[in-house]
Amino acid sequence: MEKYWQIEKVNLKYHIPLHILVCVLLLGVSPLLMGVANLSAEDTAKVLERYTALIGIVMLTPVFLPEQDRNLRELVSARYTDCAAVYLVRVLGNVFVLACLLGMYIFMLYYNQCSFPAVKYFLGTLAEMLFFGGLGLGFYGLTDHLVAGYMAAMVYYISAIGIRSTNPFLKLFYPFSMSAGSYTEKYFLFAGAVVLMAAGVYLRCRRK
Amino acid sequence: MFGQLLIKECRQTAKSLIYWLIVLVLIFVFTTQIGEMDILTEPQKGQADYGYKASSDEADIMKFTLGALVQEYIRGSYTTYPIGFYKSVTLNEKEERQIREIVRETTGISSQEEAEEIMESWYEAQRPAAGDGQETMMKNLEIAPASGLSYDRFTELMDQADAILGGGSSYGETYRSSNAQVPKTYEDAITEYRELTEKDRLTGGYARLFSDYMGIFLGLLPVFLTVTRELRDRRSGMQELICSRKCSSLVIIASRYVSMVVMLILPVLLISLPFFSRCMKYASGAGISADAFAFVKYTFGWLTPTIMTAAAVGMFFTELTDTALGVLVQGVWWFFATFGGVNTLHGGMYGWNLIPRHNTELNWSGYQSAFAQLAANRILYVLLSLVLVALTILIYDQKRKGRYRLSWKNIGRLKKSI
Repeated sequence: MEKYWQIEKVNLKYHIPLHILVCVLLLGVSPLLMGVANLSAEDTAKVLERYTALIGIVMLTPVFLPEQDRNLRELVSARYTDCAAVYLVRVLGNVFVLACLLGMYIFMLYYNQCSFPAVKYFLGTLAEMLFFGGLGLGFYGLTDHLVAGYMAAMVYYISAIGIRSTNPFLKLFYPFSMSAGSYTEKYFLFAGAVVLMAAGVYLRCRRK
Repeated sequence: MFGQLLIKECRQTAKSLIYWLIVLVLIFVFTTQIGEMDILTEPQKGQADYGYKASSDEADIMKFTLGALVQEYIRGSYTTYPIGFYKSVTLNEKEERQIREIVRETTGISSQEEAEEIMESWYEAQRPAAGDGQETMMKNLEIAPASGLSYDRFTELMDQADAILGGGSSYGETYRSSNAQVPKTYEDAITEYRELTEKDRLTGGYARLFSDYMGIFLGLLPVFLTVTRELRDRRSGMQELICSRKCSSLVIIASRYVSMVVMLILPVLLISLPFFSRCMKYASGAGISADAFAFVKYTFGWLTPTIMTAAAVGMFFTELTDTALGVLVQGVWWFFATFGGVNTLHGGMYGWNLIPRHNTELNWSGYQSAFAQLAANRILYVLLSLVLVALTILIYDQKRKGRYRLSWKNIGRLKKSI
């Protein structure tokens, strides 16, 4: 357990402070750009799904970045600790950070008299964040290219903005379903996120 | 030297995975958004509905805008879209008083109670028309302006109201003209259709619509290609080797940039071909003299500045930081450009947006009247991209000479040594 805590400490200290800063900035400027007070449930869902969920891409896509250098990757894979364990600890750590940031943001919305089911929206938005991040991570693992990871997640987001929820291209993986009054998609997004992240880690570990 | 390098860079781009992913995304966009779109047919007399249009009549604009203002004044909260996202603005006492004063001067309504009575009687009057138990589309509240109120004074007061609300409201200059939505008549519909077929020569309108859809994605996708290309030298350990070559930094960076822009324009032109041929087929059947070069003109005039800017942002930030920061910067810019443009979809309101919107094959007159603004917008982005490329060349040159190196690792080391 001590070993995994060390991995996460290094992750927190060296790898993700900049990403956390970007997320805090993105969330921090939101009251200047959009309404975050006195919102109805539908409008709250719109803010959470279309804006807040984007930090999932920032936090989860670059999980493999520290070992981008091939020489470093060889060194890590030669170590006793399985590289999959290292990545999983980082993923879980980043998910925890995401959950904390989202929790604070939801609290801020709640404090600002927005009327919405807090726990339901928290879990729904987290599922969407994980899916966006999982998509980035999965593509990064598949192509060994960070930019391809960002691209996959962002293209999915843009496509979803332009495509209606009923479109067969997205169907059950439509990310903005809460603002349309449906929650079923969130279960599929969560399941998709788990599969994508697992696939990303598996592909990355196979690539020596 | 430049020509040789340009061809080499084009080959490199053609071998890039990211490039082909971008092409796939563009094909997907085309297929899902415009691939199956029907070409507009001539409107017939006696149709049930010809759609709606924004009235340019000053009296209409005044009564619809004042109706919206009074309604929000009664509710006590005001809807704005500063960047396209819904924002509900609740005013403090001083601001509420200022709005009350504007309502009084523009409509003659002196109290909230009086306003409520007017609104109730407006909606009450519409109920019998629908019949009992039937749902009906209520017409938005219309309030006649106070007698003697000139249009200039009205716009001045509405600008004040918009400023009090923090911008992005229905009362500001940008959105005020679209408040008065009135049903189109047959004459309106046929006029628009004739503008499309005669003045726009059919392909002009559809090329604009094509550019609108493609622009949304081309405001972001080029950054992925340029960031990948700029990071590639470092990733494959070739940075030092290239730096020591005698070829100038100007030639290296310019050939890279031009090749990527060319390679991004190429698929856009190719993807437009099926749509273009459908337009030409329809035009020949309907006896319309279509413009055979419309798609080429719009690709270069409308889309290329967007491609150039997104690509230049990617190059500049990657060279500056040796990271994929350009993706984040362009992503944020894209977000604001896209959501900031949601209320300008009908076209004719291009402003300084990186992604000008015109989500209809119609509204030629709107396009024509805002053409100077659009041209200025596009020129600005071409110049901006050239400035960014020039800065990239400068940074690259300094790096080659060993005078500049900024990376997060170095910042970390610096901190430790301090």
